[in-house]
Amino acid sequence: MTQIKKKLLIVQSKAPFGSSSIQESLDIVLAAGTFDQDISLLIEGDACFQLLKNQQPELINRKNTTKMLQALPIYGVDKVLVCSESASLRKLTPTSHNNIFRFVSKDEINTIYSESDTVIRF
Amino acid sequence: MSISILVLGAPFQSEACYSAYRYAKAALETSVKVDRIFFYQSAVNSASALSCTPRDEYNLYSAWQDLKKTYHLDLVVCIAAAARRGIIDESEAKRHDKAAHNMSSDFELSGLGQLIEAIATSGRLITFGE
Repeated sequence: MTQIKKKLLIVQSKAPFGSSSIQESLDIVLAAGTFDQDISLLIEGDACFQLLKNQQPELINRKNTTKMLQALPIYGVDKVLVCSESASLRKLTPTSHNNIFRFVSKDEINTIYSESDTVIRF
Repeated sequence: MSISILVLGAPFQSEACYSAYRYAKAALETSVKVDRIFFYQSAVNSASALSCTPRDEYNLYSAWQDLKKTYHLDLVVCIAAAARRGIIDESEAKRHDKAAHNMSSDFELSGLGQLIEAIATSGRLITFGE
């Protein structure tokens, strides 16, 4: 494996449990963490519904990706960014969330995009 | 500068695979180095050797195979995404105790590490989404 390190940004935009999008994009985040890349995850749009507490995807036999999200710091991924505007439009207020999430403005998101070497949107 | 390509959308249902193919072909024809083409999510269906295209429609499956032969491309299919969608080669068929396998030998099954390596080493990654 190469020693080259790139700034990689994964953007999640789709609702959890409605498709494989969240699960398969998280797998890339975990792989990038394992291979020691500089990885950031940005949650925006309907993907913000991952922030809702007490979700029970087990009832529809889907893997609980919200638990995987909480475990990201263990895999060396300490930057989980959430689009403030998307969250507030969906009445998901910062106070009700776990502190692994950092809420970012549209301006900060623009900066994050421009500083990233590679962006993959899901 | 070299590039790698990530394809996510399903062949036929989405335009992603055909756009990725045309992009790759144009790049190769203008001597841009294509390090790797990585198939993820439903794009893994591109590797099925059993796809049958109607005669009056464009056969993207054989187009990938021709491109591979002409340019000795590295066409990598994510092993986990493929197994979930029933795209398996002979050794995976044995491992999962399946009676048949269906993956074209022009593609190679591997892990997401191959995508991360492509991102790290290529000048740019071009993604064709769902």
